[in-house]
Amino acid sequence: MLGGGLIIGIIAVLHVFVSHFAVGGGLFLPITERKAYRENNAPLLDYVKSHSKFFVLVVLVFGAVSGVGIWWSIGLVNPEATATLIHVFVWGWAIEWVFFIVEIAAAFIYYYGWDRLDAKTHLMVGWIYFASAWLSLFVINGILAFMLTPGRWTESPSFWTAFFNPSMLPSCIVRTAVSVALAGVYGLVTAATLRDIALRTEVVRYAAKWVLVGTLIIPLAGVWYISTLPTLAREISMGAAPAVTIFAGLSIFFSALVVTFTYFGPYQHPRYFNLTFAFLIAVLALSTTGVTEWVREAVRKPYIIYGYMYANTLRVGEMSRVRQQGVLRSARFVRIHEVDPQKPLESGQDVFRVQCASCHTVDGYNSIRFAVKGWSPEMIEYLLLHLNELKGFMPPFIGTDLERQALRDWLMSLNLQPTTREPTSPGVQAVTPPIPPGASKP
Amino acid sequence: MSPVIPAPVPIPLPAPAWLVHLLMVFTFILHLVLMNFLVGGSVILTVSSFLGRRDTRHRELVRRGARAMPPVVAFTITLGVAPLLFLQLLYGQFFYTSSVLMAWSWLAVVLMLMLAYYGIYWFSMQQEELGPRAFWVILLTTLILLQIMKTFVQNMSLMQQPQDFYARFLAGTVGNYLGPIDAVVFARLTHFFLAALALGGLGLAILARSWKAEVPELAVWARRYGLRWFQAGTGLEFLAGLWFLFSLPAETRSAFLGGDRLATSLVVVAVVLALLAMAAARRSLAASSVAIVGTVSLMAVIRHLVRIAYLRPYFDPRTLPVEGQWTVFVIFAVLLVAGLATAVWMLFQFFRPGARAPIS
Repeated sequence: MLGGGLIIGIIAVLHVFVSHFAVGGGLFLPITERKAYRENNAPLLDYVKSHSKFFVLVVLVFGAVSGVGIWWSIGLVNPEATATLIHVFVWGWAIEWVFFIVEIAAAFIYYYGWDRLDAKTHLMVGWIYFASAWLSLFVINGILAFMLTPGRWTESPSFWTAFFNPSMLPSCIVRTAVSVALAGVYGLVTAATLRDIALRTEVVRYAAKWVLVGTLIIPLAGVWYISTLPTLAREISMGAAPAVTIFAGLSIFFSALVVTFTYFGPYQHPRYFNLTFAFLIAVLALSTTGVTEWVREAVRKPYIIYGYMYANTLRVGEMSRVRQQGVLRSARFVRIHEVDPQKPLESGQDVFRVQCASCHTVDGYNSIRFAVKGWSPEMIEYLLLHLNELKGFMPPFIGTDLERQALRDWLMSLNLQPTTREPTSPGVQAVTPPIPPGASKP
Repeated sequence: MSPVIPAPVPIPLPAPAWLVHLLMVFTFILHLVLMNFLVGGSVILTVSSFLGRRDTRHRELVRRGARAMPPVVAFTITLGVAPLLFLQLLYGQFFYTSSVLMAWSWLAVVLMLMLAYYGIYWFSMQQEELGPRAFWVILLTTLILLQIMKTFVQNMSLMQQPQDFYARFLAGTVGNYLGPIDAVVFARLTHFFLAALALGGLGLAILARSWKAEVPELAVWARRYGLRWFQAGTGLEFLAGLWFLFSLPAETRSAFLGGDRLATSLVVVAVVLALLAMAAARRSLAASSVAIVGTVSLMAVIRHLVRIAYLRPYFDPRTLPVEGQWTVFVIFAVLLVAGLATAVWMLFQFFRPGARAPIS
């Protein structure tokens, strides 16, 4: 029912929302601590202490475990792509792991060290935390950006061409800015719980500034980021796929709401700010994260690694072989290795499982039954023949004529309201226009 | 019928297989030690939480011991990332297949981990507020940790049995399989569980040293109490180890019983070190710790050899093409040393006696 994409999406959005806070909050803590020392402001220092407890509970537990969760879920839903990312970047992952170790050690020592370390050392530990947290962002960002813009890697594969890909730098700036903004959002949540009105007013306004500064940088770097994307990806977000366009619009809308609410609320009128208002801003920020990450994932379609591997894990370079050999014969975990005229529907279902099931479920998320509702066999046939042309965000159908027909018949069998015509028998051959390898590439 | 196994990724290995094996085993040892402290520590805390209702020493042990747990969870998880990364690099096609077959139960690990982690925090931070309910919190947390351990053992066992993959795939809905439950899994689980009790006890004895200045009597008692767990766990482990050995397939087993000189000597040295660790426990905690970490390390090597032996008929990573990414590897190695040095520096600052300058 859920579909792999949705499971990854739920875990990933929550993780992104927390992990960016892990970085931004890592900057917020030492800077605010230093401010408290400089201003000799004991109440502010007490606030930083209590914020650091909240920080540890959110970041070290939820942030870390949800990160593991993404790894778990992508390995289950898309093992080929996960394995590819591990092969290309294994030392990158290993480097990120080193940063995690330092990050966690620093977070604990920062939190437990308030009464044990002198001010200077304590601050230093805070900076070490931030440095390692930001560096871990730097590494994972390069890998994520690679999936959308592998750049020169497809021609000359190496770690460096993969890591320093076209969208890596602008994406890194956007993510850093998001981190700063989210540090402010979480700061608003803890600030709203302060009892001392003078302190609350001060911290609320201070945290609001973080939100505003972060959100000011995002669109600037965002424009640069979008300019580095493949043409098809830009088109998908700007009208070619209505759902994606709506989400892209929502991303801007929610961001604008965050800025407006923060500016007129906590920034202008910090005295009247309360926890409900803080949660409202947090929910808006989470919604922004959700739709933006969804759009970022969606514009990568039809690929999972742009120009190299389709969303259904078929490598572009293997298309002609699979087309010749047949998808059932190329796949290993299928019940039927060749279209069986005795079992046309089972054959079609197996083709669906191999080619379509990484994005579609039968009845749940992105339901295929819903997608073909009311369709005739001819329409389905035509769509399968021109899948990547009619639906730019979908890979072409790869397989033999018999496999395509088996898939068509199975799809017809799902049709809740079949048209008056009977499904065509699997024996009827249709002429497949040859699709040159890479024809679907932008 | 020959087993159905996905093809390895058509991208060369970024380092020779031996280096990946080495890093996998090394990082796994780190994870294993911490994981044993976590699971064993949780069991001991559960027992002491129960006994602490009548016995003040146990109550005090729980109060102090619980504080050490959150960092142990954090590092158990983090140190577990690296061996799993290297495992996916060398044996991905086996690991992903077994994980997909038991997808729901494997995915549940993440949720259970989150619950157990918050359980540990709740238990360690809210002792007083929880009162007698604290026992139930730690009991539930420990049960969740044991369930995670079971799922890991099952997945790691299943990935070694590629001959079962296709039948499992045909048998039911992919992802609903709960994992193998056979003699090997039980023997392995018992083996891990006893090791966790032993190392959890040793961890308590080590921790108790830091209580000496404040509560000397409790420190002495807790040390002795921890060592009782250590010796009982290690003692029973000899029996469980034999059971585990005899649950292995005949060819693999015979390698450790004289068939293969290296495998046999590893087992003998590991056993001797465990005996030494037990004998030295009361006199020198340091010597005993070194010896038992030696045993754990050798056991990790042996386990790795068993995995290689299981999978060799189907796949040998040495046959994969290699294109070393040496510059990045050197950066990793340098950062690892620098990162560990930074962590040690921070720990040194933390444990150094000194007072914080108050705001004037």
